[in-house]
Amino acid sequence: MPFRRTLLIAPPLAVVALIGVVPLALVVLWSFWTWDPATYWIKPDLSLAGYAGILNAGRWTVILSTLVKSFGAALLCSLLAYPLSYAIHVMAGPRIQMLLLALMTIPFFTSYLIRSFSWRLVLGRTGAINETLQALHITSAPLDWLLFSNFAVFIGFVASYLPFAVFPLLLSMRRIPPELMAAARDLGAGFWRAFFTILVPLTYAGLFAGFLFVFVMVAGSSTEVQMLGGAGASIVSVMINDVMRVANYPLAFAISVVMLITIFGMVLIGNAFFKLSGLFGEDAE
Amino acid sequence: MQQQQTSNPLSSNASRRDMLKLMGLGGAALGLGSLNLGRRAMAQDMSVAFWATATLDIADKWQKFAELTGVTPQFTDNGNDIGPVVARLAAGNANDLFDVGGFQGGAEKELAKQGHIAAWDLSKIPNYASVWQWAKDIPYLQLDGKQIGIPTVVNADSIIYRPDKLGKVDSYGVIFDPKLKGRVAMEDAWINSAIFTAMYLKEAENQPIKDPGNLSESELGLVMEFLIKHKTDGQFRTFWNGWEQGVQLVANEEVDAMTGWEPIVYEGRKRGLQVEYAAPVEGYEGWGNNTVLLKGAVDRGTSDAAHAFVNGLLGGFYGCELGATRGYMVPSDKNLEYAKAHPDEYKADEVEKLAKHVQAKFAGKVYWQNTRPDNFQLYEEWWQKLRNA
Repeated sequence: MPFRRTLLIAPPLAVVALIGVVPLALVVLWSFWTWDPATYWIKPDLSLAGYAGILNAGRWTVILSTLVKSFGAALLCSLLAYPLSYAIHVMAGPRIQMLLLALMTIPFFTSYLIRSFSWRLVLGRTGAINETLQALHITSAPLDWLLFSNFAVFIGFVASYLPFAVFPLLLSMRRIPPELMAAARDLGAGFWRAFFTILVPLTYAGLFAGFLFVFVMVAGSSTEVQMLGGAGASIVSVMINDVMRVANYPLAFAISVVMLITIFGMVLIGNAFFKLSGLFGEDAE
Repeated sequence: MQQQQTSNPLSSNASRRDMLKLMGLGGAALGLGSLNLGRRAMAQDMSVAFWATATLDIADKWQKFAELTGVTPQFTDNGNDIGPVVARLAAGNANDLFDVGGFQGGAEKELAKQGHIAAWDLSKIPNYASVWQWAKDIPYLQLDGKQIGIPTVVNADSIIYRPDKLGKVDSYGVIFDPKLKGRVAMEDAWINSAIFTAMYLKEAENQPIKDPGNLSESELGLVMEFLIKHKTDGQFRTFWNGWEQGVQLVANEEVDAMTGWEPIVYEGRKRGLQVEYAAPVEGYEGWGNNTVLLKGAVDRGTSDAAHAFVNGLLGGFYGCELGATRGYMVPSDKNLEYAKAHPDEYKADEVEKLAKHVQAKFAGKVYWQNTRPDNFQLYEEWWQKLRNA
């Protein structure tokens, strides 16, 4: 019955509205308010000063570079996650599957800070990689670009967020009836043909969901860039933190709104192409 | 005069603050069993909610402090970052929860002007007389002849360096020396890095800078352009952030010199490294963690307890404990007096050594760290430009 259904859906909807929609609506509203130096807070004088501030001091370039970093990391994670998920799904037996999945989650028992910090120890001048390269006489001096560089940042991203690309992919692979691939082979399709014409299209939703998870998490991250990036390396979270430190709340809210709109737009566009609902079964068959 | 309330709770700063206060009170009520308010309500003796930088916490030693002073402090870490601290005072519930603040120096005058902190009555803090004069002269402690901050912890920062690589270092010039390209670092905070650079430019390059701790618009431009040039030249290995990162840069030989905190030197030595702390000819960056009387304490009638608490901080025991555990200095002779009177608790010679070490730093040139310079939002804008350069 529609009334009963509405009654059941109402509490979770209210919770989502309370913890999701209301704070976001406030962020949007406050982004148009004005900072008041007399109170160190904002006052409801409508202004676009927050948004204008994004164009100052190269802040827009940080937003752009964050999106590029997020896209790059999400793409890299998706590319690595696909063969990994396939190996776990098809090649490993149930016990090995459990072991591999457990191994992937173990690093999450520690904080992002610890994980990034450990990469500093591995990639640094006296780290394991540089020491090994020099011991093998491959290099005569430490490679400085291994740490405090975009290379190190992407290593940190992949290490931190790869599992978020793997799990949705595994989920979507498991929804594909094994007979489909077998039928393709029976009809003469080779591995790659079956892979690209059957497996990949049927896992678009999982692939996109994983991509999206990584994209959003990188866009909201700061630890990897701060700990592994070069001098003063920035990302949107770091910039928002800097701005909040000097109480420029409208600017911080405006940056958040721009990121929200960008990511929300990306979800909508991506969903139009890849149908996230397929992950839950509606378009799988 | 009664202020007219508007119906929209978000339509004025005052009503928004009221709403946040209500939210804060609600949260406090929910956690009464575990939060400070609950404990304070149950305590029979004088109790003070102390909201300060984590390193000012002496943990289980507060019990001894309470025995000595009759004041039981309830310590809460304020995160040290002055931005959120000011925000929570201006628009949050900090004044409803806490009596005394322990903040990095610089924002006191703004907070007093806005009515978030109140003036101390020095007649109720007899131990203030023992505070060293140069600490009393910290430029942020008085407003219109009233004492708005009490210097509780002071020290001065400079350069951490490796003498085995660089020999003796006595100038910030080492940080900007092209021969050390990629082998130096500064802190990822304009609060410290801008003042160090300004000190160097003022003292070593005779640039027209009046007060390195409070740069004018043009002075700030000069300083930041200089930093940006060196950053784009690849001078800095990184800008470090936080204690562990600072220690790691030194311990793993990522840099040969960096501006930073003296405890990093001690940690480096503990790990077997040859590390020194420079006494630069351009001077030190002095910093103070000053205690302030939160307006809420006055409103709640806990002002006397707050005064007794601060008097206790300056009484000797706290200084000895903080010196022994963190190497921090409470700028008072009472520390040594206490150590001499209690040889079973603290070693007087160590207390004296630390005092002389810190006093020696302040005998020379010192520019005070300022968490809220006049152009503080411009500092952030320039720091963004530096990041993006």
